[in-house]
Amino acid sequence: MSTRRRPVTVSERVMEYQESSDLVRLKVHGVLPDPNTETQIVILRDEQNADILPIWVGTTEGNAIRLAMEGHVTSRPMSHDLLRSFADHLNIKVSHVVVTDVKNNTYYAAIHLVSQGSEQTVDSRPSDAIALALRTNSPIYVTQDVLKRRGGGNLDAWLEKLGTKNLGKYPV
Amino acid sequence: MLQMKVRGLMFDPYNNAYIVILRDEDNADMLPIWVGKSEASAISFALEGIAAPRPMTHDLMKSVLDTVDAKVISVVVNDLKDNTYYAKIHLSHKDSEYAIDSRPSDAIALALRTSTPIFAQDEVIRKQVSDDLDHWLENLKPEDFGKYET
Repeated sequence: MSTRRRPVTVSERVMEYQESSDLVRLKVHGVLPDPNTETQIVILRDEQNADILPIWVGTTEGNAIRLAMEGHVTSRPMSHDLLRSFADHLNIKVSHVVVTDVKNNTYYAAIHLVSQGSEQTVDSRPSDAIALALRTNSPIYVTQDVLKRRGGGNLDAWLEKLGTKNLGKYPV
Repeated sequence: MLQMKVRGLMFDPYNNAYIVILRDEDNADMLPIWVGKSEASAISFALEGIAAPRPMTHDLMKSVLDTVDAKVISVVVNDLKDNTYYAKIHLSHKDSEYAIDSRPSDAIALALRTSTPIFAQDEVIRKQVSDDLDHWLENLKPEDFGKYET
């Protein structure tokens, strides 16, 4: 990546990866609590289980993802159920979501919507994008570039230390 | 139907939850709605006009609706059953109107972000047991009341 001299707008960021057309499809592998912080980690893996992308999210966001993974239906619509309900009523299709960027340990995502035949992109936190994708059966992608820049070398060792015990609690 | 304003947000130490206080314009009627921590924070961000560095879930809802030119017309707290409040979000989109089932917390968090009026059905206000409520409120210390009291 070249050094940027000015903030990159969302549309520029979106264009960047659309041009590069190097998206990798990911599955949500699990959500597990981070024992060191009050947060949760969403584990995304590619289909060959070769690459792994952990994204730290808040407890509420982690729960929203876990509920969808478990297919748990709450008695009242949760926030992302409401979002899906908007899409259903207004005939908006969530075509896919993309983890588009990572800067200062913050991941960025884009939700691709199709409404009346035209595709539009909405800036989102990855947690919202994933929670919505799981509720609309939409594919989740990450750019090659983000995958390359993620985590660093210690990641695998770190994940191993967390233990497969926690990970296995929420299998897909 | 009465138009309501969000008058306060406070912590309920007995239930470890938050209470959104809705009042009608004459301050004659009041509707307290218990919500969870993250719902309370979604409402307080909007009340305080704090823009988060990244879009929060209700900011995303607004931006999805904006993207397709859908407008939030109003939100209505329309029922109370077994201590659970129900709400509808009324949307207009391409000459059609939609009423979408929601928890009041989501409806209020979205209404505050879209400058949309919040209403409560008369029946809901009648149904809530105000005697119990007054008694309960008397037991709260003044400092429990949120700083959002307007």
